Amino acid sequence: MTHLSSRLVCALAIIVLAASACREQTDVPATATTGGASENALVISKHEGRIFAGGIAPPAERVSNSAAHDAKAADEGASLFTSMNCDGCHGGGAVGAVGPSLTDGRWRYGGADANIYRSIAEGRPKGMPAYGGVLQPAMVWRLVAYIKSLPPPKDVSTEAW
Amino acid sequence: MSLPRSAVVLALSLASSLAPALARAQTAADGQWTMPSKDFAATRFSGLAQITPATVKSLHPVWSFSTGTLGGHEGQPLVVHNTMYVVTPYPNVLYAFDLTKDGYPLKWKYRPNVDQNAIGIACCDVVNRGAVYAEGKIVYNLLDGHTVAIDAASGKELWNTKIADLSKGETTPMAPLIVKDRVLVGASGGEFGILGWMKGLDLATGKIVWTATNIGPDSLVLAKAGTFKAFYDKGAQLGQSTWPTDAWKKGGAPVWGWLSYDPELDLVYYGVGNPGPYNADQRLGDNKWTASVLARRPGDGSLVWAYQFTPHDSWDFDAAAEMVLVDLEVKGKLRKALVHFDKNGFEYTMDRATGEVLVAEPYVHVNWASKIDLATGRPVLNEAKATGASKGNVKDICPTLEGGKSPASPVAYSPVTKLFYASTNSMCMDYAAVQTAHLQGTPFMGINSPYHAGSDSTNLGAFIAWDASTGKRAWEIKEKYPVWSGSLATRGNVVFYGTLDGWFKAANATTGALLWRFKVGSGVVGNPITFTGADGKQYIAVFAGIGGDWLLLSGDVNSADPADVRDPADFARDLARHTSQGGIVWIFAL
Repeated sequence: MTHLSSRLVCALAIIVLAASACREQTDVPATATTGGASENALVISKHEGRIFAGGIAPPAERVSNSAAHDAKAADEGASLFTSMNCDGCHGGGAVGAVGPSLTDGRWRYGGADANIYRSIAEGRPKGMPAYGGVLQPAMVWRLVAYIKSLPPPKDVSTEAW
Repeated sequence: MSLPRSAVVLALSLASSLAPALARAQTAADGQWTMPSKDFAATRFSGLAQITPATVKSLHPVWSFSTGTLGGHEGQPLVVHNTMYVVTPYPNVLYAFDLTKDGYPLKWKYRPNVDQNAIGIACCDVVNRGAVYAEGKIVYNLLDGHTVAIDAASGKELWNTKIADLSKGETTPMAPLIVKDRVLVGASGGEFGILGWMKGLDLATGKIVWTATNIGPDSLVLAKAGTFKAFYDKGAQLGQSTWPTDAWKKGGAPVWGWLSYDPELDLVYYGVGNPGPYNADQRLGDNKWTASVLARRPGDGSLVWAYQFTPHDSWDFDAAAEMVLVDLEVKGKLRKALVHFDKNGFEYTMDRATGEVLVAEPYVHVNWASKIDLATGRPVLNEAKATGASKGNVKDICPTLEGGKSPASPVAYSPVTKLFYASTNSMCMDYAAVQTAHLQGTPFMGINSPYHAGSDSTNLGAFIAWDASTGKRAWEIKEKYPVWSGSLATRGNVVFYGTLDGWFKAANATTGALLWRFKVGSGVVGNPITFTGADGKQYIAVFAGIGGDWLLLSGDVNSADPADVRDPADFARDLARHTSQGGIVWIFAL
């Protein structure tokens, strides 16, 4: 789903959304919050794995990581991963403990930058806390950079003994 | 509750033949299992004797039931009035099986509404350690901080009391105990910087009657002048003075293990878990009363005595393991004893009236301390194994933070052999603490690489028989993997336990000879029970379903979530050849 379908959706939308949601989206510097949008706006980040009713993707604001090209971002994210107690649930190196592994290349709630951002900022069912109230967006993006920097193993699906 | 005459006769003959008398208020017929640890003394011993070393070879499964849930199946069923009660891990369904009908169909099931956020707040898998029966009620905890009472006959919910707060990092997997009209409960959360407590509820209404913290000032700990007397520690406000200012407010001290009760002394005994954070540099001082045994009056919660097994715990040595109350001969004298196999690797035999330590010996390899000084009650520390952020990565500490024995794996005592039977772990760890901040609702630990098993043997565990009068091992069965089930002892002189790779086993209680085994479909982390069926025969029941702490450690035994794929644990690379998660109740008979 790309710009083309976004335009189609904008054209077809009957629900009044914030004008910003229908702007042509490229790389919006990310506060994945509604900054500047009207009160009724919903920011929906794209989840590639979703199935769209009617085959139509809802209006989405494409959000990407402002820290993606910052070489130090992943290192800073690694420190945050410890200081914000992420490792207490996800294990040191995010290999999984109470919470799932974040290094296996598999994602319950989507692996795009925006999905991971939302998982951290808004929390998820089954006990992932919402950190958006205590972490500035720039800090959340550093965590996203760190998590995305963890290389998934080449083959996770089969164990041969 | 009226008892069958034969059961009364059996109970009386047992009582007279088992002199010196055990410290248990045994009114239930021995063919039932009405409380988590079998009796108030927590012996997990049954007087049933049809299954013996001679007959156990014909033990075979007669029934099984899939609980429909995954997650570690800790705890044990209850059997009351020919009904078996099973509490599952989250979402904590309560099943009631009719043992008088062919195939043991359900009488009813109770499906509570449990907050799924509890899944991520529970440190150590979504386990439940069991229910308790009293006065026609089945009482147990939901993982999300509620205690419920269910009518044992009809399955109707009688009351539902919120006792704990998920948003503070509290969850409630422990099994309550009921003493007269008081329901006793506590919360987990040592990894979340809670302010740990015990509560006493009214059995009839579920109302919270008292709350006692395990740490903090005397007014919260309910340590009253004139009532409280610790054997080794003098002075007041010990739960506060042994912490830096206010550190106790997020000091952990959870209650996640087993409760026992002495009706003559009117004391409830329980172990308190670890202090928070794991980085001990942030909480200088003894940190009382974490990693301690507390003795309280069940009626009003007042603290009578306390003893700390691991002062200033720097290794996550929760003292949550069971306090077994038996009268033992120690150094030629009969003592009212309390026996406790601590995570820290020492077995303690104590005077349960005063808290004096009579015997303290290592039951696994221990190197964080050389011994327990009986004059002071304190461990003699090995400074090389002290941890804290200032000490970096401290290597090869034994035992690991899973303990020489996990509190989730309770022992059994046999008055026939006068031995304790324990599931133990033979492993060591590296421990690297780091500075951490407390953020409510998130882990408060400060540990970078908490666990790395190193071991000097190929056997990661053993099932042992232990003499607590002298602090000596009688025999052991070495196991490939750490042993995580509870134990069952019987008058027939057979003991039962289960392994992580899914074998349920029986051994001769005197010699340790392995007599029988059966592969139960998933690792065993629960506690076997025995009961008399409606036909008068002896039955054995146990859960299969690997999990608990072991779920966090063993990496790849989860098959059910495609988005959570882990490497095998480096110290047990092939465990997943033998087990995945599961959830089955098994019943065996001759």
